[in-house]
Amino acid sequence: MKIRQMLKNGCILVVLVGLTACSEWGVKPWERDVLAKPEMQLIVSPIDAGLDDHIYFSKEGSSGGRSFGGGGCGCN
Amino acid sequence: MQLINDKREIGLALTAATLTLLGVNAPLAEAKGKAGEWDIDTAVLFYSETDGRVSAVEPVAEFTRNYDDDRKLTLKAVADALTGASPSGATPSDQAQTFTRPSGKGDYTVSANENPLDNSFHDTRGALSATWSSPLGDDYAYSVGAYGSGEYDYMSLGLNGTISRYLNNKNTTLNAGLSVSADSISPEGGIPVAFSRMALRANKTEEAFQTEFDASRQGSSDNKTLIDVLLGVTQVVNRSTIMQFNYSLSMADGYMTDPFKILSVIDDTPGAGLGTNAIGADGNAIYVYENRPDSRMKHALYWQTRHMLDNGDVIDGSYRFMIDDWGISSHTVDVHYRYMMGKSYLEPHARVYLQSEADFYTRYLTTTEYNGGTPTVTEATADYRLGEMLSGTLGLKWGYHLTEDHEVSVRGEYMKQTSTGDEGIGALATQGLYPDTDAFWLQLGYTF
Amino acid sequence: MQTLSLTQADNPLNRPEPVLLTQGVLRVVRFQAMASPCEVLFAGLDDEQVGVLGRLAARETWRIERALSRYLPDNPIARIHAGRGQRIAIDPELFRLLSYADQCYQMSGGRFDVTSGVLRHAWRFDGSDRLPEQALINSLLTRVGWLRVQYGEDWILLPDGMELDLGGIGKEYAVDRVLLLLLHQLQQWGKTLAEGQFGVLVNFGGDLVCSGPPPDGQAWHVGIEDARRGEVAIQTLSHRHGGLATSGDARRYLVRDGKRYGHILDPRTGWPVEQAPRSVTVAAATCTLAGMMATFAMLHGAEAEVFLQAQKNIQYWIQR
Repeated sequence: MKIRQMLKNGCILVVLVGLTACSEWGVKPWERDVLAKPEMQLIVSPIDAGLDDHIYFSKEGSSGGRSFGGGGCGCN
Repeated sequence: MQLINDKREIGLALTAATLTLLGVNAPLAEAKGKAGEWDIDTAVLFYSETDGRVSAVEPVAEFTRNYDDDRKLTLKAVADALTGASPSGATPSDQAQTFTRPSGKGDYTVSANENPLDNSFHDTRGALSATWSSPLGDDYAYSVGAYGSGEYDYMSLGLNGTISRYLNNKNTTLNAGLSVSADSISPEGGIPVAFSRMALRANKTEEAFQTEFDASRQGSSDNKTLIDVLLGVTQVVNRSTIMQFNYSLSMADGYMTDPFKILSVIDDTPGAGLGTNAIGADGNAIYVYENRPDSRMKHALYWQTRHMLDNGDVIDGSYRFMIDDWGISSHTVDVHYRYMMGKSYLEPHARVYLQSEADFYTRYLTTTEYNGGTPTVTEATADYRLGEMLSGTLGLKWGYHLTEDHEVSVRGEYMKQTSTGDEGIGALATQGLYPDTDAFWLQLGYTF
Repeated sequence: MQTLSLTQADNPLNRPEPVLLTQGVLRVVRFQAMASPCEVLFAGLDDEQVGVLGRLAARETWRIERALSRYLPDNPIARIHAGRGQRIAIDPELFRLLSYADQCYQMSGGRFDVTSGVLRHAWRFDGSDRLPEQALINSLLTRVGWLRVQYGEDWILLPDGMELDLGGIGKEYAVDRVLLLLLHQLQQWGKTLAEGQFGVLVNFGGDLVCSGPPPDGQAWHVGIEDARRGEVAIQTLSHRHGGLATSGDARRYLVRDGKRYGHILDPRTGWPVEQAPRSVTVAAATCTLAGMMATFAMLHGAEAEVFLQAQKNIQYWIQR
């Protein structure tokens, strides 16, 4: 219970850090050339990510984080 | 007189702006995602574990149809065919051990000092999903999706939706998502009664066995529901760096026990029998079906950063911390580095996963805990996936662009899982209770 | 020599039809647009291919001219001027150009301003010594100021009295667009630059871009006009990659009390930029970029050289 409480606080802190940093972070609209490249997408290959998520889901006790936790499989 | 402090900065910005005007800054991205065309991504995965354990073939196809204004429909189909053996949860012994198959029809025997694997494991699975995503005015976007998968003994249906809010010139994106799914399981042979003894045929008539087997079952199917909530921030850091933070909460309710997993009951009476399998009144070893809590709440924090170096190579790192009310916490670190080499790229990958065990994880039950059939524990599992574990993966991917929007790729990953825990009492201490799991997978991909 | 016929829809301004002629190993298509002689040079391609590409080039050039010209009665620019004070619909291409103009305004600290055209009512660079009255300049300056123009992805609102002139971008933009279009068509035909079988150079009155060196591996030869004498090429450049553009016009100036006033105006003062070079020629990755680099250099006045020296991946020639 205590850990969960700490975790909750930690999470709020992380989000706040993310937001306050926004004022200095970022690019102008015409500076998006690099970020627009396919290899700069957060999930470059959804297929690879999906297959790996499925493997780790069925072999480990954790899942999710990047996107929804997954399920729909009798493998765990 | 100076126009702006850094003249070179102006030149670089002017270059980028001009490329944007001419629409040539991202030829690959432009080639893909053209309105009115299908982009198709296909792959086949070959997965194999050493020691004759699970092997699988998994073809996947993803179809994306782009419409005007960034609206798009994605359809995905996955099939997989699994065969092989999986650890049953029982401990190895210096005697050969015979187990009843989950269906109740037939037995399998594991030699002395071998880790018990249930080799009746084979299944085929098919899954389909559809996602529609679209902007919602200038500052919002949403997506909705549906998902269904079916196996011989398992069915899952789900719905999900996300909404995104753009802030700060689209440099910051807030995401909120909800996913709901309902799963049902109807394992061959039915749902075992928690902690009931695995019925064994030795030393009894088939009729007596069948009566005992039926008494260990409680209906043919059960189900669970899953609710996932995801809150995230995506932040553009600078021209070549993007970062993401997610918090996710996952709540599961219902049947989460693995109906195929059992625990050995080990004699903890001091003496010559210490650490051997406890023997029941029928002269057979005692194995009981595992039982897990019927609810689980997981919290995960996920951070990812992707950065392009000056030479065009891309580095990606992520870290995930997960904790749940089963007592499991885990750390995952994942790093990719993509060497860009003209039309091709080479991408090494490394991943480390560290997990603590669930509160109710135990490698075996003692006779004291078994307590003659009325266990002193309410939940227990010997499934190594809920035990203390360190897992490492190394991989390499090579991709080649045949033309702007056709890519072939090949990827190999090697994973080693090592488990640790209670080393056993008496005779059991001489057995290897935590065999490594080595898995290798190879993926061939074609995008067009 | 043959003429290339285009349909009425493809030639909305009723210009003379393009002509195709052969010069040694090169084929050349010539036509008129944007008050300049336009030519596209082809190497390694036959008459039939060049005929198709030449028509495409003329059609695209005239399309852009028709869309952006300030002098046509019923084009988007005219509609914006007729509808001053109201939101007028624009297409994605015009939005891209306005965004570009906006960025250039920001990056130049307000010196590059597509609304500065009204100042020409005060200044006539006819070589005479007639400087305008400051009062006239002041009154015109109230009608200049990009920041007062509002626009969105599909609309623009131009305030009363103001003028919008994309002439400072349009020609170079057309040069690059034509090359991209021709390369796209060639790619459809299975011809890629990697094989080095063909070369294309698009030249609209000295603002030009090429697809790379011609197939023989030599360079395209381009003459730079002498800013002081005009007409005669004083320097021949070997051009192999990217674009080349010139800002400045030797014949447009005023002289008063021995001081030369060039035609590059600073929209913040309404006066010519002091100590601006007579002309700046820049070679860069694209014609549009070369043109804007040259314009920015002119706007830097005495610091034109300093500005250009700071840039990577360009070459430049300055005449003072």
